[in-house]
Amino acid sequence: MDLILECQSLCFRYNGNEVLNNISFKAGTGRFYAVLGRNGSGKTTLIHCLNKILTPVSGKVLIHGKDIASLTRNDIAKQISLVPQEHLDIFPYKVIDVIVMGRAPFLKIASSPEPEDYEIAGKALKDLNAEDLAHKNFNQISGGERQITLLARALAQATKIMLLDEPTNHLDFNNQYNLLSCIKNLCKSKGISIIASMHDPNMAALFSDEVIMIKDSNIMAQGRTESVMTKENISRLYDTDTSAILLNKEKKFFLPSKVIEDR
Amino acid sequence: MTRFTKSKKLVGLLCFALFAALLAAAVSGRVSISFFEIFHMFSNIYNGIASKGELLSKELVFFWIRLPRCIMAIFVGASLAVSGAVYQALFRNPLVSPDILGVSAGCTFGAALGLVLPFQSFTLVHIISFFFGILAVSMSVGLAKAISIKPVIILVLAGMVVLSFFNALLMILKYFSDPYGALPSIIFWVMGSLSRVTWDNVLIMGLFAVAGVTLFMVLRFRLNILSLGDIQAKSLGMNPSFFRVLLIVTSSLMVAASVATCGQISWLGLIIPHMARSLVGPRHEMVIPVTALMGALFLLVADSLARSISAAEIPVGIITALAGAPIFGYLMYKNRGTGWI
Repeated sequence: MDLILECQSLCFRYNGNEVLNNISFKAGTGRFYAVLGRNGSGKTTLIHCLNKILTPVSGKVLIHGKDIASLTRNDIAKQISLVPQEHLDIFPYKVIDVIVMGRAPFLKIASSPEPEDYEIAGKALKDLNAEDLAHKNFNQISGGERQITLLARALAQATKIMLLDEPTNHLDFNNQYNLLSCIKNLCKSKGISIIASMHDPNMAALFSDEVIMIKDSNIMAQGRTESVMTKENISRLYDTDTSAILLNKEKKFFLPSKVIEDR
Repeated sequence: MTRFTKSKKLVGLLCFALFAALLAAAVSGRVSISFFEIFHMFSNIYNGIASKGELLSKELVFFWIRLPRCIMAIFVGASLAVSGAVYQALFRNPLVSPDILGVSAGCTFGAALGLVLPFQSFTLVHIISFFFGILAVSMSVGLAKAISIKPVIILVLAGMVVLSFFNALLMILKYFSDPYGALPSIIFWVMGSLSRVTWDNVLIMGLFAVAGVTLFMVLRFRLNILSLGDIQAKSLGMNPSFFRVLLIVTSSLMVAASVATCGQISWLGLIIPHMARSLVGPRHEMVIPVTALMGALFLLVADSLARSISAAEIPVGIITALAGAPIFGYLMYKNRGTGWI
């Protein structure tokens, strides 16, 4: 495995409350890491610590062996992109204008995007098969289309590491699978490393290569998806007895046992 | 790419309209001066001939009253409007105007204090006004820094606290000031007017206006990114807190300089950015230049009306508010459903 990002005993506190404690993991090139945990377990905080949006109390994050604390925001933005949780109420920019903002780290502070940057933005949208969105209003498209737009912006940023904060929030049944397949493809075809916080363990089981489980501020379990995603681990993680249904030889589907017993 | 050229045409058109309005403003007013006479004045100056008789008095009116006033209107209009656009981007809220951090309230209190104090010097009034405007913004920013969570919302709340504080101080001054002397001058100050503009004021205001607009033009693409909020701005490689302070300080200096010399001219900072956005879309690459030009044009026309519509001059703040409200209402109606509101 080609090491690209390393998180060393990261701790984060918010108003004196411990949110993350001693989080360590390594991420390799072109792999998909899913971060699982209950609501409020610090998944988003961890994602935000990885590109210095938040500064940890102690511990380090290294990219290619370099501590991000010593890098400028602009240098970090050239290596790590972020697809934030869905958001609204910004000015009604066109989709292509939102995507071209991904070129910001490559522009001088005083310059505006050039035609080449618009070309790169258009290509990012084309890679995601969504060229027809380009001139729509970002505030008036569907939640799924907004996620595609933000994913395209991260692609335009041309980074080797992409962070995603609950990417399937607010998406319908089909769109959740479409978006994650899309992300999985980026991993394989472009060798981008993905670190995504996710709330659905079944999605993580289907698409991720490795899983990091966070419980009570600590890492509860981590490793290859096949070995970590067991009904015992998931029961512990979400504090609810979980059953696994075998879909085929490899794939399992997890459900809280109480739901099955009620039938 | 058609919309880029369309927007560039609009900038050209606005420059032309501003020039035409400047010419129209030069010949309108109570002292009638014709284009021919203005040409004559310039040619006399060029040839080193002293003007005589009626032309001399008209020359005095033109060069020492009308021209500085028109140029002042351009600087103040552009400054107020463009600061509004920057504030709206920074606070991610189209209802924000440059008054929100208390700069105008501070300036008005400072001016009132200067008018109440026994020294009868307008320069002193301007200086005290400017000082309190900047003090008010520093208090808002300082208070927000001390609280330091959820920076944008706290900053707005801190601004409201400081704003009401200075409004209360202004009330006290009004209550205790002489109802036949200082009180009317305070009230006229609040209404806003470009009378009593001198070349000195124009020079100082011009310095702030040109420096500020230049900075905003330089950072116009970065304003798009800042308008996405702190998390996304950081992930796109910017340091939002640094740029927020830089842009707030610059806008506040521009607004303080405007209010300290011309009083409160309402609505410009709120409606002009909206008008610009409804014409060229939300990208600040275009919003900044178009807002600056439209603000200059709007105040120049409003001020020309203020001084020529009736025998007694109307405070320009009344005209901007009177014209601004229906225009804003119309824009909201016209742009319903396009998502820019």
